Amino acid sequence: MNADRLTIMPGATEPIYRQIGSQLRRLIASGQLPAGEELPSVRDVAVQHAVNPMTVSRAYCQLEAEGLLTRLRGKGMVVAVGAHANLSPEQRLARLQPQLADIARQARELDIPERLLVQRLKSLLEDSE
Amino acid sequence: MSAVLRPEMSSNASIRCERITKRYARQTVLREVTLEVPRGTVLGLIGRNGAGKTTLIRTLLGLEEPNDGRASVFGEPSLGMTDFVKQRIGYVPQQPDAFAWMRVANMFEFVGRQYPHWDKEFVELSLARWQIPAERRLANLSPGERQRVALIRALAVNPELLVLDEPASALDPVARRDLLREIVARAAENGTTVFFSTHIVSDLERVASRVVFLHGNRIAVDAALDDLAETHARLRVPAGSVDLSANRVSGEVSRHVQPDGSMTLVIARDRGADWPEIVAAPGVRLDALNLEDLFIEVAR
Repeated sequence: MNADRLTIMPGATEPIYRQIGSQLRRLIASGQLPAGEELPSVRDVAVQHAVNPMTVSRAYCQLEAEGLLTRLRGKGMVVAVGAHANLSPEQRLARLQPQLADIARQARELDIPERLLVQRLKSLLEDSE
Repeated sequence: MSAVLRPEMSSNASIRCERITKRYARQTVLREVTLEVPRGTVLGLIGRNGAGKTTLIRTLLGLEEPNDGRASVFGEPSLGMTDFVKQRIGYVPQQPDAFAWMRVANMFEFVGRQYPHWDKEFVELSLARWQIPAERRLANLSPGERQRVALIRALAVNPELLVLDEPASALDPVARRDLLREIVARAAENGTTVFFSTHIVSDLERVASRVVFLHGNRIAVDAALDDLAETHARLRVPAGSVDLSANRVSGEVSRHVQPDGSMTLVIARDRGADWPEIVAAPGVRLDALNLEDLFIEVAR
């Protein structure tokens, strides 16, 4: 994987290490990063995006602790075998929690009936199949 | 002399200062500022104009004498620093004006001779990359070029401690990003300690591991950047909900009373600790803050 597949947005309330973590989780959960795929080194991500190396390393360590990444000697971090399959649907759903919470809040603010929102989500799901 | 035997090598702090107070005439610029910067930290210093950032930097480096308190670099008192310590520091002042009469190439040759770890190749590559006319006198360079020359000089020393006073103020966005990448690369490869002041909050947010916010002559916020969203938040207290006029909220950093009597506060907690009880009071709202919001909320 190339470091430029990540997007860093300073100024967001989500800290940069979490931005990196959630992007990698999504790429792994969707299978876009297959097992064994090598991740860019901490230094590469840090220099490419001009972010602190400890921030990158914190994101990697967290994903390692979750079993999504494995540290290979001489190779750095790779996507763990079965990282995708290891996840239950509930765990994969948890990845979307921030976006879902955001939508729920905005829907409430816009006073959108629950029925309409669920309906729209359903038709979006059907479209994307 | 063997470096291993020097006592300061055992200390993990690049910079340390204790209860520094600095006054100019009757005006207090810094009041009892205490700070410790472990090696490998990339510390971003923010604060409004006149908050004392430059004074703090100059005092830490021994270029100003505090009225009270003391500062040290690599375990040595900042005032009367030895050459051994000076050689390990790269410093770029806000307005670099040294050697103005010299030509760029001559200046680098002259300065380079005084440093044992001078990186000549880095100087040549950087001058080319940043398109600096080597035969021009420093006095005739544009402010941006002047700033780049000063940065190259500070980095060519291969410093263990890099101190930058608003290094990006005269740089265009491309040169600024170049500089940030250089800072990150140094921190990643050599564990260089970096202490820089800036007004550009997004730069700080990217490269710093720690933020120190100088306000009202003292340190208002000193926090790990990765934890900031977890450790700091804004509290909105509507008028008539909770009466806070008599007491401080635990962890209170700042408060502002609006004309309608409502209040906004910035509160801080330790990582993993709970927010004070007031956040659960009816009508009270707790919001996440990004660094810029935090800065504006505290400084306004």
